[in-house]
Amino acid sequence: MSDEQFRAEIRGWLQEALTGPFAEAVGTGGEGREHEAHELRREWERHLGRAGWIGLSWPTEYGGRPATLAQQVIFHEEYARAGAPGRLGHMSEQLLGPTLLAFGTPEQKARFLPRITSGEDIWCQGYSEPGAGSDLAGVRTRAVRRGDHYVITGQKVWTSLAHLADWCFVLCRTDPGSTRHAGLSYLLVPMDQPGVTVRPITQLTGTSEFNEVFFDEAVAAVEHRVGAEGEGWKVAMGTLGFERGVSTLGQQIGFRRRLDAVIARAHSNGAWLEPALRDRLVDAYIGLEVMRHSAVRLLASAGEGLSGLEASISKLQWATWNRSLGELAVDVEGAGALLTGPGYELDDAQTHFLFSRANTIYGGSNEIQRNIIAERLLGLPR
Amino acid sequence: MTGSHADPRAVAETSHTEAAEDLAQIRASVAEVLDGQADLRRTHEVMVGEQGYDPLLHELLTAELGLLGLVVPEHLGGLGLDVAAATAVIEELGARLVPGALATSLTAILAARALGPNAEPLLARVVDEQLTLAVALAEDGAGWDLEQTATRATGAGDEWALTGTKTVVAGVEAARVVLVTARNPGGELGVYAVDLAADGVDVRTHMTLDQTRRLSTVHLRGAAASRVDAPGGEGARVLLDHVRAMLALESAAAARACLDLTVDYLKVREQFGRPIGSFQALKHRCADLAVAVAGARATADHLVTTLRTGAATRSHDAALAKLVCADTLMTVAAEAIQLHGGIGFTFEHHAHLFFKRGKSTQLLAGSPTAVRAEVAALAGL
Ligand SMILES: Cc1cc2nc3c(=O)[nH]c(=O)nc-3n(C[C@H](O)[C@H](O)[C@H](O)COP(=O)(O)OP(=O)(O)OC[C@H]3O[C@@H](n4cnc5c(N)ncnc54)[C@H](O)[C@@H]3O)c2cc1C
Repeated sequence: MSDEQFRAEIRGWLQEALTGPFAEAVGTGGEGREHEAHELRREWERHLGRAGWIGLSWPTEYGGRPATLAQQVIFHEEYARAGAPGRLGHMSEQLLGPTLLAFGTPEQKARFLPRITSGEDIWCQGYSEPGAGSDLAGVRTRAVRRGDHYVITGQKVWTSLAHLADWCFVLCRTDPGSTRHAGLSYLLVPMDQPGVTVRPITQLTGTSEFNEVFFDEAVAAVEHRVGAEGEGWKVAMGTLGFERGVSTLGQQIGFRRRLDAVIARAHSNGAWLEPALRDRLVDAYIGLEVMRHSAVRLLASAGEGLSGLEASISKLQWATWNRSLGELAVDVEGAGALLTGPGYELDDAQTHFLFSRANTIYGGSNEIQRNIIAERLLGLPR
Repeated sequence: MTGSHADPRAVAETSHTEAAEDLAQIRASVAEVLDGQADLRRTHEVMVGEQGYDPLLHELLTAELGLLGLVVPEHLGGLGLDVAAATAVIEELGARLVPGALATSLTAILAARALGPNAEPLLARVVDEQLTLAVALAEDGAGWDLEQTATRATGAGDEWALTGTKTVVAGVEAARVVLVTARNPGGELGVYAVDLAADGVDVRTHMTLDQTRRLSTVHLRGAAASRVDAPGGEGARVLLDHVRAMLALESAAAARACLDLTVDYLKVREQFGRPIGSFQALKHRCADLAVAVAGARATADHLVTTLRTGAATRSHDAALAKLVCADTLMTVAAEAIQLHGGIGFTFEHHAHLFFKRGKSTQLLAGSPTAVRAEVAALAGL
């Protein structure tokens, strides 16, 4: 299939799919909007899965479909362009799926991947803990082997979508005496069991998409450990390398929509005539162009997805850019941006302004990305 | 350096491999000559010298390596290579801040290629006579605003006479022909070629803040000229876009070189018993510079593809890349001075060369403010 045919197909499908009940889902979900339309978006995941749009480039035996890198980019572009709902399954598809494909046993792949591609299972990521954020090797959550199960005790924090997820991929310590990177294991844990408690955390947006997750003798089957016991660090780092990738170009279509909205607003309320604001707006446009060319350039040389280092460069670029645009969005609005709807209901500019502060923290903070670039790209000493 | 793809759709194609190898070879042979003859120490010597460029090196690159004919079409006597070949050379020159008119010549040749049949006689002369070219666009008061061009062209057919004054012209000191924008009696803006040795041409070359780039004022009093663009076309715009492209490519490469210079220093300079590059405050600044350099590189690569494919976004892409790359060079060079400490403030050290080149690149072919406004207009913001 040519790329143009592929584009026509996904575009046509989205147009058709986002009618009827799903018309209401348009524009819902995504950053700072995870509270919106859960049930409908869950159904949307299945709809997407049934039509074969999850797991592009994955083996067909797991419900994937052959797709080139360019086609994956096209999918994300069209998805963003159509304003299709924020994906509940993005961690399932973009983090866990590639991890299983790379490190999973044949049984694990057969067991979990088809349920991702069908949109059935939603996954969350259980890495961070109160004492282990940027320094993930500080993980303390324990898993003790008892027969064919691990028994897990400990606490995770900032776990996005844990309140909606069916499964969690959890980094825990299986060797009690171990420290740092050694002695960790990567376990797949069902959320629907007695030993798991999820407590939502209210974010500065007033909504909550992340949670505390308590494991109190929760269990995970030994056969659901990914990679060897004690080698969870390697697997976890593999996952981090998969974060983003081909979705970056699609993400930029979303960014462009936001930028256009801010510029349109500046034209309509006169902010565009303010030279200092106009310069910042043009710089935002230029910054997005730079990111677009950078992403194309990286993808052209990346083969499958981005390497960790390339991902660091693009993470730093987009997180910083989007945070600035959030600031610009409220500055363009002026004093009008100070008023919210009832119940701290935020408009787009306000949500953007507030939520984009998270971009430079999660997925490896700006500071951590800078360390990586300085040490691995520039070779500066540790 | 890797080749660039404009579009992820091109990723799957492997047919470019051969062209990419040719390109790498050209780049390598130019780099070899320059590394031997034109390192930054040599730039220092040349820029304070009488002529402001290195005639021997110029000869080596033009007559011996034949770089002027690189992208001139084969039927006009050139090698007929892809735009990317000339841009690769411009980058190599830019990375070393080489003074002289080779980069401007290649730029003018690229522009001439895009101007159509009227430029063919000039391109043939470039190869036959090893003509080095310069480009004169700006005027006092008007700057690079093409609309305000006041230089007059009188005559018809192939016999024209130009009158006017062009300012801040780069590379004239090493050039034999200059491409000049001027307005004919009908008010139409066109591009004309003027032999610098012709009667009525007076060149005054100035000392410059950016010593690596000498600038001149060119006075034309009825100087004989021939038209090189097609009437009714957008020749002047083509010329301006290519000058911006050159500045973008040069400065993207220079920014990279300047960052490398700085990072190398941070690895060896020790204070408080450790290499200063291990201090996070400095590491993070370098990382930010690396991200900026990667961004500049991407806009420059994209621009090369635009020029190669003749895409309609040329003016937009050239303005944007010039802005981004010049600002990046300025930022990297300013940081380079700071991160080098005292040594960075000396004339002997190379950091200031990049710093000064950064400023001249920002201010040539449109100031950052002017170009930003242009980008906004071209993007329809
Ligand atoms: C909205 C959101 C969603 C998230 N979702 C998930 C999720 O689904 N699953 C999950 O596991 N985690 C998730 N996280 C957690 C996220 O990955 C961590 O917050 C992040 O890694 C930072 O860790 P921390 O919060 O412990 O901050 P810390 O590590 O304590 O950092 C505090 C500050 O110190 C800086 N710092 C730390 N170390 C260094 C250093 N070596 N050099 C320089 N500066 C340093 C940091 O950059 C930061 O500015 C989410 C976070 C947010 C905000």
